[in-house]
Amino acid sequence: MYRLQSIRKCYGSNVALDIEELTIAEGRLYTLTGANGAGKSTLLSILAFLAPPTSGEIFYAGKRVDRDHGSVEEYRRKVTLLHQSPYLFGGSVDDNVAFGLKVRGIRGEEQRRRIDEALDVVGLRGFRDRKARELSGGEAQRVAMARALALKPEVLLLDEPLANIDRETTGLLEAVIASLPAQGTTVVMTTHDPDHPGRLNGESIFLEGGRHVLQSLR
Amino acid sequence: MDFLVSSFASALRLIGSFSPDVVDAVGTSLSVSAGATVFAALFGIPLGLLVGLSDFPLKRMVVTLLNTLMAVPTVVVGLLVYGFLSRQGPLGVLGLLFTPTAIVIGGVLLAAPIVANYALASVRGADPRIVPTALTLGAGRFQAVGTLVGEIRFGILAAVIAGFGRVVSEVGVAMMLGGNIRGYTRTMTTAIALETSKGEFAFGMALGIVLMMVALIVNLFLNLLQQR
Repeated sequence: MYRLQSIRKCYGSNVALDIEELTIAEGRLYTLTGANGAGKSTLLSILAFLAPPTSGEIFYAGKRVDRDHGSVEEYRRKVTLLHQSPYLFGGSVDDNVAFGLKVRGIRGEEQRRRIDEALDVVGLRGFRDRKARELSGGEAQRVAMARALALKPEVLLLDEPLANIDRETTGLLEAVIASLPAQGTTVVMTTHDPDHPGRLNGESIFLEGGRHVLQSLR
Repeated sequence: MDFLVSSFASALRLIGSFSPDVVDAVGTSLSVSAGATVFAALFGIPLGLLVGLSDFPLKRMVVTLLNTLMAVPTVVVGLLVYGFLSRQGPLGVLGLLFTPTAIVIGGVLLAAPIVANYALASVRGADPRIVPTALTLGAGRFQAVGTLVGEIRFGILAAVIAGFGRVVSEVGVAMMLGGNIRGYTRTMTTAIALETSKGEFAFGMALGIVLMMVALIVNLFLNLLQQR
């Protein structure tokens, strides 16, 4: 799905990420581990096409991503990043889950069906009209997950999605995440939990000091 | 004290009787202020967003300039625009001096920096996750900015209202560019200044009360929107 070549991301003189080569295969689940400041979030931002690398090449689905001569919007619509503490827009749960569908021109019955499906998956059926800002932390995380799932992205990038939430929600979201590769979605998820690769039946990418040092295969 | 009480009573009578002079001044004030605010918003909001969302050389200088322009005395703006609109000025042929349009032009110059600064402050105070969230959900750059504006709409609305407040309460621009012509360019503030200097304190007080009411209504409206 991705091939990264000689990717560097610098903030001033500080090198946040320096990856010689990294390949992420389609329909697999990867856990991205490393200490704080290892470059995990930076890598996710680059994979989400939100932040351009300072240098290097990214290939997505075999095509070189050319930020200068093509719109990254095309790629952004295939990839969705879910943050550790997601931002929910003002308005209802429905407004939030519908956001990405609306910008893709998906409306009417199809939009309603996708919202219902996504909320069902995260166990929030019946939450459509609730005010997003009045939800608990775990509920907000689930709404953010539903908002991403409703888009049926080719790649779902998760930045510590299971931090700061209760055990019940963790179990539910782990099950949702583990089921995604079977549906064709590639998942890359940062985590500090050493058990996640095994529990989620995933592969592990390890970063240290911005460098990709290890990739374990199943 | 009796003077103040009797003037206040006379002022209330003038308001209650819809004195034509009061109605004219109120109407002119509101219309030129609304016009100036609309144009100031059309210019100031995008400017505030642009400065707030982009990085460019001399950004700090632009922000300082915008802050400075907020504090420019109204008579200086009046003087500047007067220079352009007077018969000998570069825009003198348009014949705009001493018309409501001239007050609107001056009002735009007064209000636009305020609207831009308030909009800029709203952008700076906005949650930094808004734009990346919109982008990763597939929004284009303009859609993401539109989403940001939606999320900070009360700050933007406060910017517009602050701009309106600046224009409706100023006297220098309205006096110098409008000429205080009765029934045409006489605003509440210029009428207060003139009538009080003529000894018509009650009339000035009547307009002062209306001016305060306008400020109160505008702020109540803002509060109402924020509670929704």
